[in-house]
Amino acid sequence: MPEITLLTRDGAHLEFACAQDENILDAAAAAGLFLPSMCREGSCGLCHAYVAEGAYEMGSFSKDALSDADQAGVLLCRCEPRSDLTVQLPYPQADIQRHEIISREAVIENLAPAGAGAMAVTLRYTPHESFGQAADFVPGQYMELAIPGTNIRRAYSMANLPNWDGRFEFLIRLQKNGAFSTYLAEQAKIGDMLITRGPLGQFVLDDASMRPRCLIGGGCGFAPVLSMLRHLADFQDTQPTHLIFGANREEELFAAGDIDSLRSALPQLGVTLAVWRPEAAWTGFTGTAADAFVQYLETSTQTPDVYVCGPPRLLEAVLAVAHERNIPPERIIAERVL
Amino acid sequence: MFCFQCEQTTKTDTGAGCATAKGVCGKDEVTADLQDVLIYQLKGLGQYSARLHALGQPDAQADSFILYALFTTLTNVNFNRARFVEMIAEAARIRDRLRGAYEAVAKAAGQTPDVLHGPASFIPATDPTGLLAQANIASVRAGLDVVGADVIGLRALVLYGLKGVAAYAHHAEVLGETREAIAVGIAHALDFLASEPVDLEELLEESLALGRVNFTVMEALDAANTGTYGTPSPVAVRITPVAGKAILVSGHDMRDLEGVLEATKGTGINVYTHGEVLPAHSYPKLRAYAHLVGNYGGAWQNQQQEFAAFPGAIVMTSNCLVEPQALYRNRIFTAGPVGWPGIRHIGNGDFSQVVQAALAQPGFSVTEPEKTITVGFGRDAVLGVAGTVIDAVKSGAIKHFFLIGGCDGAAPGRNYYTEFAEAAPKDTVLLTLGCGKYRFNKEDFGDIGGIPRLLDMGQCNDSYSALVVAQALAKAFDCGVNDLPLSLVVSWFEQKAAAVFLTLLALGVRNVRLGPTLPAFLTPTLIDILVSRFGIQPITTAEADITAALNRKAA
Repeated sequence: MPEITLLTRDGAHLEFACAQDENILDAAAAAGLFLPSMCREGSCGLCHAYVAEGAYEMGSFSKDALSDADQAGVLLCRCEPRSDLTVQLPYPQADIQRHEIISREAVIENLAPAGAGAMAVTLRYTPHESFGQAADFVPGQYMELAIPGTNIRRAYSMANLPNWDGRFEFLIRLQKNGAFSTYLAEQAKIGDMLITRGPLGQFVLDDASMRPRCLIGGGCGFAPVLSMLRHLADFQDTQPTHLIFGANREEELFAAGDIDSLRSALPQLGVTLAVWRPEAAWTGFTGTAADAFVQYLETSTQTPDVYVCGPPRLLEAVLAVAHERNIPPERIIAERVL
Repeated sequence: MFCFQCEQTTKTDTGAGCATAKGVCGKDEVTADLQDVLIYQLKGLGQYSARLHALGQPDAQADSFILYALFTTLTNVNFNRARFVEMIAEAARIRDRLRGAYEAVAKAAGQTPDVLHGPASFIPATDPTGLLAQANIASVRAGLDVVGADVIGLRALVLYGLKGVAAYAHHAEVLGETREAIAVGIAHALDFLASEPVDLEELLEESLALGRVNFTVMEALDAANTGTYGTPSPVAVRITPVAGKAILVSGHDMRDLEGVLEATKGTGINVYTHGEVLPAHSYPKLRAYAHLVGNYGGAWQNQQQEFAAFPGAIVMTSNCLVEPQALYRNRIFTAGPVGWPGIRHIGNGDFSQVVQAALAQPGFSVTEPEKTITVGFGRDAVLGVAGTVIDAVKSGAIKHFFLIGGCDGAAPGRNYYTEFAEAAPKDTVLLTLGCGKYRFNKEDFGDIGGIPRLLDMGQCNDSYSALVVAQALAKAFDCGVNDLPLSLVVSWFEQKAAAVFLTLLALGVRNVRLGPTLPAFLTPTLIDILVSRFGIQPITTAEADITAALNRKAA
């Protein structure tokens, strides 16, 4: 894979690899270097730079952003390497954003059973002078939590909204013999310190979409879905939205109170609580989350955006339904939890 | 989607205009089409409003809605589809109210009400899918195959100029300044566009009329700003950070800045201006807030880097917003006509959430050594030293004035303005307006006999100030504005600039250098008209344009 060397105006050398079918801007971002850019389609000219050495090919671009006379000039969003490249950037290193994933301490502020063998865990950032106290994340993202002094590290999605109090709420399903689960069940107490790293993850809402949304959560995959729904409620979203919560048995349907408050905040919210193996008295939907998804699609007049988060089996079944119904892959945002 | 309203619009060998799923500015197809539908409806509101004004029974609330709604459709203002769906429904309700009022008022006046067609009778669909299906009739290019590109181009000039006029009028209105002539002029232009005009001369005349309306708007805005915040005066503005929690206010809106300053009183949070809010420091009542500590960053197009690096909360009060990055989505807020899906909006002037967000951010950890730039040479400051300036011109110490005004942008061609400022001879004075100045306003240009060579007159919103100075100098020298040793070098980006441009045409100001490229909606025929009748000149190179300006024959 071609090696790219960026030379900044103040003389820094930054190196990363870039595939031949990838543009330099994207490859730099993948390497944690966020170069000045705006339209990312060869029109605005903000990612203009010069190739000092090497072969490349340019995709389509506007002449205003890069004129024919500008022989050495390139637009990094349109520039794909054909050999190792040395690129001269017209700005200093300080203009390049580096999105470092932050690791910092947080303490357990609350710890309570959430039903069905799950724990509701609230963490709060320990005050830190250079980081501030904001819990910055996009609803749907997760944090890695590590137990100090051990190698135990697990990723959990937030169930709450980003906030300025440094608070992260998780719904964690206790796994038999799971290392982090064992810690939570047996050792953890309020005031204990954990190391957080994040936010991470691409399981986030397309806020701009005007299509109906179908959010499907199973098990602890409900946590990020809850965060997304809370975000929609917070913004008084009016798009048709349907929630499918899949569970094997009724007792696994936790967070009933949260669902009730979402119903009142989002009057258009449809809810299917799908139980695969219910007790005889169950009057709700009987079947898997995927079965409930089929039923939802039959009543929906418009193809929705689909957000699905859950254990592998749930995920595969839902994706299979989406595939059968020809839902375009770009309308499906999925995340697997264990 | 088809949109060619800004300078940045996609240009290819086959023509200009953003016509794919997403425009260069980040506006997507759905938002663009919904904006078209809303504008189409506003023409219908204009049809009724113009008649209600003629009958002496205007609907002030509807006129105010028109300003706000047009403002939301400017480049880099509102990207929130859901907001447009709401506004379309609101526009339909207002239109029905205006229709009822017009019919009643006309009958009461013994007239038979006109039965209005086109936008006035348009019934918008009730769901987004239906609205998108209706967008074609509302496209800025609707009827192109029948009326031709020249007519479409001039209609676009009127519409885009009108958007700028409405945006400025909205700025004035939020500070309590309205004028009947403004509401009448705007309703007239909408009514005119609703009639689908095809006569080039009529279209040109409407453009000039709009330019005159804009002069009134600029006067009202100047009165609003100076009336509310005092007369601008020169002041050194700090451009380096001060240790402590911080809020950055960008956009153009002074009232929102004041709201933030009030909300942060006594909190220990420092407030910084960004982009076009920089001139706020020149107003006595705003700089009286000790915690308005300085300016951070430069022009709008660098905001993704600057906002990401700013260790506090950010408020975007009007144009120009670029897609907020994940790094600062949780600490940026929009206000006024601005919007982005999933970004918190302050709709009621309550900035307490912004304060909360700022307190949760680390703030600046150290105070950097102080560096400043000087702003605040509004009309009073310049005319206050008019005697000195006039003497300097008469003695030959000042050979020429260059007014470098307008917007900045990302295109490499905008280096022209830096080169221009740097190459302008030492015996010339540079007047700046708008955010284009950020390309060179941190350089030291020296002074001429105590008069700084770089005089910043304020925002693009302050062009009135420049016109008043030009007219006063013309009077002092007993000549016309075009006879003054003054050249205008204008960088345009969006529709506020289009409005100012029409005002320059309407006032007969000639020999304006326009760049970095000419508007894509102007056909070669229309450009010929602007060049031959109004003396508009496209920019060439800085050196050649300076030489041409200095060797201009006295007209």
